[in-house]
Amino acid sequence: MKIIKFAFSFLVTASLLYALNNVWNFGSPIPPLGSFLDPFHGFWQNAETSKVSNQEVNLPGLKDKVTVVYDSALISHLFASNNADLYYAQGYVTAQHRLWQMEFQTHAAAGRISEIAGAAALDFDRNQRRLGMVVGAQNSLKMIKADPEIEEAVMSYTAGVNAYIDQLSDEDLPIEYKLMGYRPEPWTELKVGLFLMNMAKTLNSGENDIELTNALSTFGKETLDLLFPDREPVSDPIVDNEGGWKFKPVTLDSLTAVKPIEIVSIKPVEKQPKNIGSNNWAVSGKKTASGSPILCSDPHLGLTMPSIWYAIHLNAPGINSMGASFPGSPCVIIGFNDSIAWGPTNAQRDLVDWYKITFKDNTKNEYLSDGQWKSTKKIIEKFSIKGRPDFYDTIVLTHLGPVTYDESYHADKQNKHYAYRWIAHDGGNILRTFYEFNRGKNHSDYMKALDHYYFPAQNFAFASVSGDIAIRIQGKYPVRRKDEGKFVLDGSKTSSEWKAFIPFDQNVMIKNPERGFVSSANQYPVDGSYPYFVHSNQWEHYRNRRVNRVLSEMNNITPQQMMQLQNDNYNIQAEEYLPLLIEGVQSFTLTEDEKKIVELVKAWNYTNNAEGTAASYFEAWLEELQLSIWDEMVDSKVSLPKPSEYMTWWLLKNHPDLSFYDHQKTPEKETKNDIIKMGLQRAIERINKWEKDHGRKADWAHFKDSFVRHLLRLEPFSVHAINGGNANTLNASRGGWGPSWRMVVSLEKTGIKAWGVYPGGQSGNPGSPYYDNFITPWEKAQPLRLKFERAPSALVSSALFTTTLTPASK
Amino acid sequence: MKFIIQIIATIFVCFLFQTFLPWWTLAIGAFGVAFAVGNKTGFSFVAGFVGVGILWLGMAFYIDQTTHSILTEKVNKLLPLNSFVLTTLIGGLVGGFAALTGAFLKQK
Repeated sequence: MKIIKFAFSFLVTASLLYALNNVWNFGSPIPPLGSFLDPFHGFWQNAETSKVSNQEVNLPGLKDKVTVVYDSALISHLFASNNADLYYAQGYVTAQHRLWQMEFQTHAAAGRISEIAGAAALDFDRNQRRLGMVVGAQNSLKMIKADPEIEEAVMSYTAGVNAYIDQLSDEDLPIEYKLMGYRPEPWTELKVGLFLMNMAKTLNSGENDIELTNALSTFGKETLDLLFPDREPVSDPIVDNEGGWKFKPVTLDSLTAVKPIEIVSIKPVEKQPKNIGSNNWAVSGKKTASGSPILCSDPHLGLTMPSIWYAIHLNAPGINSMGASFPGSPCVIIGFNDSIAWGPTNAQRDLVDWYKITFKDNTKNEYLSDGQWKSTKKIIEKFSIKGRPDFYDTIVLTHLGPVTYDESYHADKQNKHYAYRWIAHDGGNILRTFYEFNRGKNHSDYMKALDHYYFPAQNFAFASVSGDIAIRIQGKYPVRRKDEGKFVLDGSKTSSEWKAFIPFDQNVMIKNPERGFVSSANQYPVDGSYPYFVHSNQWEHYRNRRVNRVLSEMNNITPQQMMQLQNDNYNIQAEEYLPLLIEGVQSFTLTEDEKKIVELVKAWNYTNNAEGTAASYFEAWLEELQLSIWDEMVDSKVSLPKPSEYMTWWLLKNHPDLSFYDHQKTPEKETKNDIIKMGLQRAIERINKWEKDHGRKADWAHFKDSFVRHLLRLEPFSVHAINGGNANTLNASRGGWGPSWRMVVSLEKTGIKAWGVYPGGQSGNPGSPYYDNFITPWEKAQPLRLKFERAPSALVSSALFTTTLTPASK
Repeated sequence: MKFIIQIIATIFVCFLFQTFLPWWTLAIGAFGVAFAVGNKTGFSFVAGFVGVGILWLGMAFYIDQTTHSILTEKVNKLLPLNSFVLTTLIGGLVGGFAALTGAFLKQK
């Protein structure tokens, strides 16, 4: 009897230990409570104070001593005696603060989120692999391996990350691992390539080929050209060099591919939101108070906790560079050194095509190409899914790219197959560009560095201490014939394939323009005399005009004024739209509420500041108007594109009788003004409801909600920032997207002065005081002065602590 | 008296185990102490529960104080119960059952 009691009690204890050591899922996942709550190794140990003492760490594989000074913002300053040690230390230090994020984001790139998150992520994971994310990373790695200096940087970085993982104790494991009950795997060189593929996907995969194909069949060519013109009737291009393009362009003698006339009924995977982008500009010394150029960089990206950026200072013989780095890749990506500064904005054009593939039979072993049957290659992808058996997916490869959509993935009723051609499949060694930027001395070094840059295509602004400013649009752009790439293409004809790329010296660029500044904001890049067909699914219409308007009027510019301009909330879209909206409701008898709102927006100064509700009403009105005008697209069963907000305004002004103004769901036939009035009414209803739900006035900051969300979407680890702006103002801050690294660099001969801030903090640990300490300066557009010193001694007095990395004796 | 001794010994032994070994070894500690002290089964369970509960709560409280609750509030929102309560409860349960098992083994 006693034995039975003992055995029973023993079993209960053992089961308890087992249960508390593992993750369970009852609707929502429950962390391994025992190991998670254990105050000796669990989450409690992740709570940190700002007090850290100096330390010395022995690391295998280091050649020499590296001094790492953490300044008062926890920005690390690395002083090494050779390149290998420098990148080793970069890997080590970055992993120290961002290991979980680094692994999670590269898992995402590789389509491996279901390993952590379970079956819910399988569709996403399959899409990643079917888009060829891993193939692209592998091709990039091949190119890196053929370049000894970059290979050394990537290998050293990898060794540094792994040195950190190897000595990581249970208690220091980042909290996300503890929460989900797993541990980091070794870092690899491929992961560096995978990280860069994430950026390529965010920045260079935009397209609406399937949607435009459907629109062509549904509305016809004439309507399509009206709603989606190649060149929209607004222009303030990045480079206006009318008649100055003196080179002989590459021409293709084959004919433009035949346009398809069929409907593509697959539901494409959800896309990135539109109107994301960035601003950058550089002003020449002629226009600044100091007489030296100022460069401003402000890439707009998805805002996450931890941030996509990690500020760092790299110093070794031949390099002294500071700025923002990617957690997952060596080098400073956006920054400056003693001589130059650089900053990119996205230069997306059509870098994607979908090809319809004709297979010989169901085996998919052969497909048609110019009347010949070509052999496919097949790869079997294995997906490990947490809590479920493994899943296997066969991906068919053609010479055009992987077949993304087929019977087993987002199938359409006709069982068609679409292969994906994407510039990022080809791989690239873009770290070579940043490696050279970090060491560059002048404009010619900048130009040479850019010759290695393939994707994601960017508008690189440049300024130097010697007084030059420049901008160059760099990327590998296929030479397009008119209309090519807008629609789904026929994969059985080689005439529709990419034949050539625009030679790099024929890309759009300018140095020291007459007007005294260069700028870009993702707008149509070039004047009409540029001899190549340029097409994208989205151009920016407002920020570019605002920055050029302001900069051309300014003189004696100071860095502080530039910080204010980065935070500028003036809304050209509102300036253009509101008179039209107000006029539209003139002829109606308005209710008291409506009259009040019309008066409110009439008195508004077109500035999307955090306070006040006028911006909220305008934005809601505009959005409701778009939804009712383009309801033909929104409510369609097949995927259709919506014209840009700019084109909508232009059409309302110039085509007052467009049939699209009629709202499909009502029996009456609405006119332009009816639909404007309807938009006002719906906007008021929406805001009333919002105010009731939230129990507060719909002030713009709260209504738009700049949400810096944790990568796992955990609300307690996320931050709601309070600021103004929207996608069309220079302060392009809106819910979930916005200014991700605001940098201002004054390139003075007496020494560079630089400021920078991103929403988040250096530490990726929610239990650190440095997890979100940049949020407030970011909200207020008060970037931190970056401590750009040449030696540790100049930093130590104001530093938090210093770590000395020393080679471990064998 | 033996009850108090078991509690104090559990805190001490489990503290040592936990400092150097994974969390679940506290079960071995609480089990060993219960076996050595030899309380009645019911008392043994309570002593194991209280011992480990105090150890975990104390350690959690100490960390919370020194770090100005920087993480506690965030984690509280992630968990179904307050993290101090849950920590004490989970540690206590494991300690209690391990001690109960030790007491049953002692009973001949």
